[in-house]
Amino acid sequence: MALIEITNLTKIYNTKTVPVYAVQNINMQISKNEFTAIVGPSGSGKTTLLNLIGGLDEFNEGKIVLDGIDISKLKENQLVSFRLKKIGFVFQAYNLIPVFTAKENVEFIMLLQGVSKAEREHRAVELLKDVGLEIKINTHPSQLSGGEQQRVAVARALASRPAFVLADEPTANLDSTSAESLLDLMEELNEKNAMTFIFSTHDPRVMKRARRIITLLDGKIDVNHMKS
Amino acid sequence: MLIALSWKNIWRNKKRSSIVIIALTFGLWGGLLSGAIMMGMGESVVNTAINRDLSHIQMHKPNYQSEKDVREFIANGPEIVIELKKIKNIKSVSGRTLIEGMAASPASTFGVKIIGVNPMDAETTTSISNQLIQGSYKELSKKNRIIIGEKLAKRLNLKLRSKVILSFEGIKESIVYNSCRVVGIFKTESTQFDEMNVFVNQKDLFRILDTEPIIHEIAIRLNSKKNIPEILNILKAKYKNLSIQSWEEIAPEIAFLSTSMENFTYLFVAIILFALIFGITNTMLMSIIDRIHEFGVLIAVGMKRIKIFTMVILETIFLSVTGGLMGMIIAFLTINYLSKVGIDLSIISASMESFGVGTMLYPMLPFSMYVALSIMIVLAANIAAIYPALKAIHIQPAEAIRTY
Repeated sequence: MALIEITNLTKIYNTKTVPVYAVQNINMQISKNEFTAIVGPSGSGKTTLLNLIGGLDEFNEGKIVLDGIDISKLKENQLVSFRLKKIGFVFQAYNLIPVFTAKENVEFIMLLQGVSKAEREHRAVELLKDVGLEIKINTHPSQLSGGEQQRVAVARALASRPAFVLADEPTANLDSTSAESLLDLMEELNEKNAMTFIFSTHDPRVMKRARRIITLLDGKIDVNHMKS
Repeated sequence: MLIALSWKNIWRNKKRSSIVIIALTFGLWGGLLSGAIMMGMGESVVNTAINRDLSHIQMHKPNYQSEKDVREFIANGPEIVIELKKIKNIKSVSGRTLIEGMAASPASTFGVKIIGVNPMDAETTTSISNQLIQGSYKELSKKNRIIIGEKLAKRLNLKLRSKVILSFEGIKESIVYNSCRVVGIFKTESTQFDEMNVFVNQKDLFRILDTEPIIHEIAIRLNSKKNIPEILNILKAKYKNLSIQSWEEIAPEIAFLSTSMENFTYLFVAIILFALIFGITNTMLMSIIDRIHEFGVLIAVGMKRIKIFTMVILETIFLSVTGGLMGMIIAFLTINYLSKVGIDLSIISASMESFGVGTMLYPMLPFSMYVALSIMIVLAANIAAIYPALKAIHIQPAEAIRTY
């Protein structure tokens, strides 16, 4: 069974005036352990599709089944809990909590899950070690570089032991060294920990690393290419 | 961690939070200090009235208060005074012979209340002996001596050693007269009292009225105001045929003034807090708008809206309580200092005296008010937080992340 099953997915904006099909009749499946990039020009619907898969936005037609659960049937609170347990998010602008240290940012997700303090602290330190930030666990985001902040964001995304990670243009704000380093990290996590990554991107470096590329054009899948 | 996050969040924009905290601090400080001055004034009116003439409890023959008739005296009054002195928690007792009469001097005549006292008992029950500005209280023990107020002395053009003629209705004859020499002039906090009351030795009155010792009013001073209910119960059970009243029943207007001052203080502080609610709401709203993107992210990663709501409420409470606490601490220190050194209001002594208040004012605020105020601040913070918190929980994560 696929980890993500999308059937006839359509999202329309401005339905009361001129309908804009942000995503139109999308059908796709993503299996566990995939390292997939959703690509396409601006306005092609990459972020919208990622938001729909992440349960952050409502769709008009179709069905999304994540890890065997039809998310359209979940109520608001159930959907929040589902996101907390099953999905890790990495955003373009890192979006760490500025008043928390790196460790506290990673711990926070586990706090929301109700994990005990001792376990939270242990796991947060382990995750930060995994992303190469063991010496900066008590550093605030403002004192970290963009690449370091994005590494903390990856550690945060993994803290909840999600089924998959959605990363919306994760390298867009990074210099090439940081971007390559982050991609190395994600690739390693994918290979060693069998973590599924789905990116939206127009960064050629990400496309180069991705093993599958889904190209969107005007909200529709133009190309769905699995590298050999 | 949610508490830590909320606390840290309010310091993200130090300038904005500091402005609200300073507004709260000074708003409450001003409100509490004004309240303490009002309550100090109320307390001063009560205490001066109790010290000057009311005392804590008074006993009369039931009809006396309405009739004011010299014949409406307490049966066995002198014996009752002796009995009362033996009751625990009664500090002192003064039996008074009261007669409505006229005081005449060569210059003028004025209606007065003649208060016949046992000078020794009166000295321990009221403060008149300490409020003489001329003369000696001890001389009241001698025959045909009188102590008058400064205002009456001016009205009748009397000085120390002047003679004054008292005329009043006797028990047996229609009108009796007595010539007294002024041995003391007192000045209390109330010019009205000073004008309308004179003190004589009650032995002189018994002699002129040609009567056995008669007492119309027994003034009782207790060790503490707290003992009033207990002693009232004892006396009411023991002297069922007498009217026994606390100072609050005798002078309800003074009791009302004292209670009103406390209520006004609550009202005053409530108005200040009400005004501050809008400031706090505005600040929190700005804070929410600044963080829409962040709230979107928090909801996206799995923070439930109820937790977002709680976080905003906590932030508002922390902000308000910090300002409130600082305001209360500064107010407490100021009031504590002023309650010891007092505020000298002699510059407006005339208006203070007509109000029955001394020129030295000692602000006071009961501890219960600080407790009540803490609750009011938390309540105000909750009210102020509701709108921003609702705004925060209605954020749509996808839109917030995409748009802001």
